[in-house]
Amino acid sequence: MNSLGIALAIIGAACASLFAGIGSAKGVGLVGEAAAGVVSVDPNKFSKVLILQLLPGTQGLYGLLTAILMLSRIGIIGGSPADLSTAQGLMFLGASLPIAIVGLFSGIAQGRAAAAGVGIVAKKPDHSGKGIIMAAMVETYAILALLVSILLIYNISI
Amino acid sequence: MSTTEYASAVAAVKTLESSLLTRSDMDQLINTPTLSELKTLLNSKTHGETLTDVWEMLSGYAPDCEALKILLYKNDFHNLKAVLKAMLSGRDPAHYYISPSNVSLEAIKNAYTSKSPDGLPAYMRIPADEAYELATRTLDGQLSDSLIDTAAIAAMQKSADDCGNEFIIKYAQLTTVCADIKTAYRCSIMHKSNQFLETAICGSRELDKASLIRAALSGRDGFLNYLSNTPYAEAAELLKNSPAQFEKWCDDIITEHAETARMQAFGAEPLAAYYIAKEAELKNIRIISICRECGTDRETITERMRRLYV
Repeated sequence: MNSLGIALAIIGAACASLFAGIGSAKGVGLVGEAAAGVVSVDPNKFSKVLILQLLPGTQGLYGLLTAILMLSRIGIIGGSPADLSTAQGLMFLGASLPIAIVGLFSGIAQGRAAAAGVGIVAKKPDHSGKGIIMAAMVETYAILALLVSILLIYNISI
Repeated sequence: MSTTEYASAVAAVKTLESSLLTRSDMDQLINTPTLSELKTLLNSKTHGETLTDVWEMLSGYAPDCEALKILLYKNDFHNLKAVLKAMLSGRDPAHYYISPSNVSLEAIKNAYTSKSPDGLPAYMRIPADEAYELATRTLDGQLSDSLIDTAAIAAMQKSADDCGNEFIIKYAQLTTVCADIKTAYRCSIMHKSNQFLETAICGSRELDKASLIRAALSGRDGFLNYLSNTPYAEAAELLKNSPAQFEKWCDDIITEHAETARMQAFGAEPLAAYYIAKEAELKNIRIISICRECGTDRETITERMRRLYV
């Protein structure tokens, strides 16, 4: 059995959840700070800022989803790891990169956009929907990266 | 420090901005029928909030107040002047101390009683020493005051350049320009000497010291003529007609500058802008209260109202 191939695939799965998770953690944390600032002055705005805080959390979920699909595909979850060549391992590692890299940066960028949106909730609560839409636009690129990662994972022949 | 460090503080300040008094609130205050009604309305709108409360609140929210400290320099140096003069004339300096300030009354008092300015911030040590020496040697309060005023502006410029924040640099620049125009104009009327002007004028990139001194020495008309040919021609026009309107212009350009931070989601700028906004609001309240007590007509009060941030 070529252990390097399976190791590379596992590293890929780890990267997907690790980097996308870091992006989400940073984004959610930033919005959380901004939200706490608003709630400390006006606690009634909690529900509105909470929606904004949730937005950058999705990248972490996409990373987790990608990692689970990959681990399932290479048989790690089922308990019978596939015999992967080094090239196949590298392919799985490559498949994880779109969501890993885009997840990291889009999580942070979405966090900044959502934290700025918290400012809209603070000053003009009636227009909070606009802040949510603007932050949600960043999500598009995380979804595209997730799609590419999933297509790659399912199209690597084992 | 990363600007996102201020995310919480900025969000809190943006929430507080909705409670700033608007133009219609000010009109309501101006048009209250009696003084007692004015006081009741003021209490209901401002809850007796002072600038010290605002500063303490901002300090509580901001992860780092270094960039904002410059906003208190004018109070710091006012306190230095007040404590020096109060101590030399045997009065209680506490009556003249204003807050918020970066330097406590005790620190200034100790610096003078112990003849050692080490307890003061670095930007105040030399001016404190020099002003004391000048005041005790010449017994000319105006000269020591002008030395401290110039030192305040120089300290503000240096701190602004050191912190590198564009908003703060522009704030220091506008403050310098206003202070220099004010001083040079007064000196031109009072025919002050070149020596006095050298101490009193600070100078900046926009209005350099040598030109300002030359213009001030040429008399009021000469100075206004010089100013008319600078980017601050508007100030010259106002000075010709009404020094009170010029004072208003000085406050208004600072508020106008603060408005540039309204759209910023991160950084120390919205905090500084809120402090400036609150300063303008409280100044307007003071103008309304004093004018109403003196029986000034409502049109004049409205004319004197400073630009509002909201």
